[in-house]
Amino acid sequence: MIFSGIDAGSRAIKVVLIDQDHKILETGCADQGIHQADLALALLENTLDRAGMRRDEVQYTVATGYGRDSLSFADTTITEITCHARGVFHLNPEARTVIDIGGQDSKLIRLEQNGHVRDFVMNDRCAAGTGRFLEVVAQRLEIELQDLGTAAGHAEKPAVISSMCVVFAETEIIGLLAAGETRDNIVAGVQISIASRIASMAGRNIEDPVRFTGGVALIPGMESALEEAIGRPVQTAANPQFTGALGAAILASERGMKG
Amino acid sequence: MKSLLSQITLDDWDTQYESFRAAGVSEPDYGGPLRRHTHEGDLRLLRIKYDPSIEALNLWNFLLTEEDRLHAARLNGKKIVGTMKDLGTVPLMAYALPDIIAFYPDGAWWIPCVMELGAGLLGVADSIGLDESFCPVRAMVGAFLTEAHFPIPDLLICSVGAVCDDFSAIAQRLNGLGYPIHWWEIPHRRHPDTGEPSVMLPGGAQAPVSQLEFVRSQFEGIKRLLEDLSGQSLTDDVLMASIRTGNRVRRLLKTLRTLTFTSEICPMPALELLIAEMLAIHFCSDPAETIRVLSGLVDRVRSRVEERAGFFGEEAVRIFWVNPVADLTAMNMLEECGGRICGTEYLFTHALDEIPEDMPPMDALAQMALADPMVGSAQDRARRVCNDLEQFGSEGLIISKIPGASHCALEGARIAERVQQQLGLPVLEIEVPPVCDAVKPSLRGRISALLELIRERRHR
Repeated sequence: MIFSGIDAGSRAIKVVLIDQDHKILETGCADQGIHQADLALALLENTLDRAGMRRDEVQYTVATGYGRDSLSFADTTITEITCHARGVFHLNPEARTVIDIGGQDSKLIRLEQNGHVRDFVMNDRCAAGTGRFLEVVAQRLEIELQDLGTAAGHAEKPAVISSMCVVFAETEIIGLLAAGETRDNIVAGVQISIASRIASMAGRNIEDPVRFTGGVALIPGMESALEEAIGRPVQTAANPQFTGALGAAILASERGMKG
Repeated sequence: MKSLLSQITLDDWDTQYESFRAAGVSEPDYGGPLRRHTHEGDLRLLRIKYDPSIEALNLWNFLLTEEDRLHAARLNGKKIVGTMKDLGTVPLMAYALPDIIAFYPDGAWWIPCVMELGAGLLGVADSIGLDESFCPVRAMVGAFLTEAHFPIPDLLICSVGAVCDDFSAIAQRLNGLGYPIHWWEIPHRRHPDTGEPSVMLPGGAQAPVSQLEFVRSQFEGIKRLLEDLSGQSLTDDVLMASIRTGNRVRRLLKTLRTLTFTSEICPMPALELLIAEMLAIHFCSDPAETIRVLSGLVDRVRSRVEERAGFFGEEAVRIFWVNPVADLTAMNMLEECGGRICGTEYLFTHALDEIPEDMPPMDALAQMALADPMVGSAQDRARRVCNDLEQFGSEGLIISKIPGASHCALEGARIAERVQQQLGLPVLEIEVPPVCDAVKPSLRGRISALLELIRERRHR
């Protein structure tokens, strides 16, 4: 039996296919767009193709993420909070806190011992503390997103980004460039700024071990910036951008097995 | 026998209304099809889901015809008193006198939602420097300046002091624009010092007697103003009669809330209950009709409870809601996500408590004003929320912040902290703008996540 989880995020769509033993059979990822349902369905079919499977072999599908309600072909929808929690618990049952930084939101989820969500806080009203901040910076500094981590690693002294607003932070970056600040220092400063937003959102609600998920977790340097900001060790989950889709797939298997 | 009721849309109401008419169901003089209000610009009604009963229709029509009542009162020579930032006390003084009608200009904060920004009131407020960093109640200034909604009152009375900073700033701007306001001061309610004479207020908070005497002196000033306006004396007897009317409203609301929150199946949707609760502070400018409308709702809800009929099913997650929402559709959203209302604290819980009738009426009103949750500490408010949460058996708490409202900035965190520590219940903080369509996916996601979390807890 095959089960699928689809995470229709604000920046990317992710698909995970698993079997009844929760073994990952295939994953797929594509950019999000206007026709969310069509894009998600195409990605699902493409992922099934690569796995050598057909759609009618999929027993149950759970959609999650910002665009989940538009995926009418899914059997049900579950929020990304629950799905990320389940995905992390599957990978790291000892985890007690999940920090997820996606393209346009960030969240902190505390877990019970059984992996259930104890509580959560979420920022989806401000681009500070999200991947969007990094995109803006990469564009302004004419650097590829995937190279931000390398740049930050070369920083000698991270620049201070004082604004809490991405738009004004961009203005600050222009000012820093004009003042001769290095690109590497600016990137490192931006990573620290994002991490401090997360720390501020988390407050005192962090318990070890902490796992880091979401597309931003792929960027080198963010994990250490987070550790510095929250004062605790942070470990990036395996394939962090797929954690929500994996959790959705596991929940799909639980529901599909129940019949 | 359990019977699951469904909310209806405005289109459904058209059909439902015709069936009521055909059946000869009687309506009050402000009755009529709900759709007619959309022709006056109340476009949000097109997006709302409603309780399908005639009693709920009466409630909506009563609410949406208040401006007509105020204009009619002006034509009939009645004096109109705007009681601003007052939660349930000064209107009772006003209604004690003949030929005076009180209303609540702050209620204009819902016009941007109900008219989907069509009235332009927030734009008017913006143009005079009251931008979105202020609470949406700034729409009230737009309503005064455009004169397109309520008639300009003969007298404006507004509390100041331990109330919202942003509301005070808005009202001061209004005063500066040529709408003179009589200010009365409400002090921050403090706990009595050791040995200091104190009084236990309705609702359970304590305050020093000196504060009570101060508030009473402020009310004496209001009393003189109202007597000057009406030309008649505000005696203890007529004031007590007005308090008894207010208490009838409060008792009806207590019954309505208790039935709704404690029934196995929810007998009344959250939105209609929110509107009903608001009647405790403003009466829609007609206390007698308020009693009739609420009595009808209580009868309807009681019969539903007896028949085990209601909305959303037994599995609906029982949510306690703190603070009123700027966009009415947010209450529908809770139910669409699988929740039901099971306890509320819309910042005026003191106006739901009965006013003491065993003491001089001015003392009783001063006690009620000082019992206002907004003028005390956040911990006092949190304590009451915890008590009510336990009483009603709520499974989780939603704290709805009002954008720009100064009293929402920190209180939510204090309430959340206490509920989590004392009761171990999950809490969600959200912010609901006057028209929340653009953030609905985000709000829906958060509310759904809270409900999922609570359902998981049930299975432990």
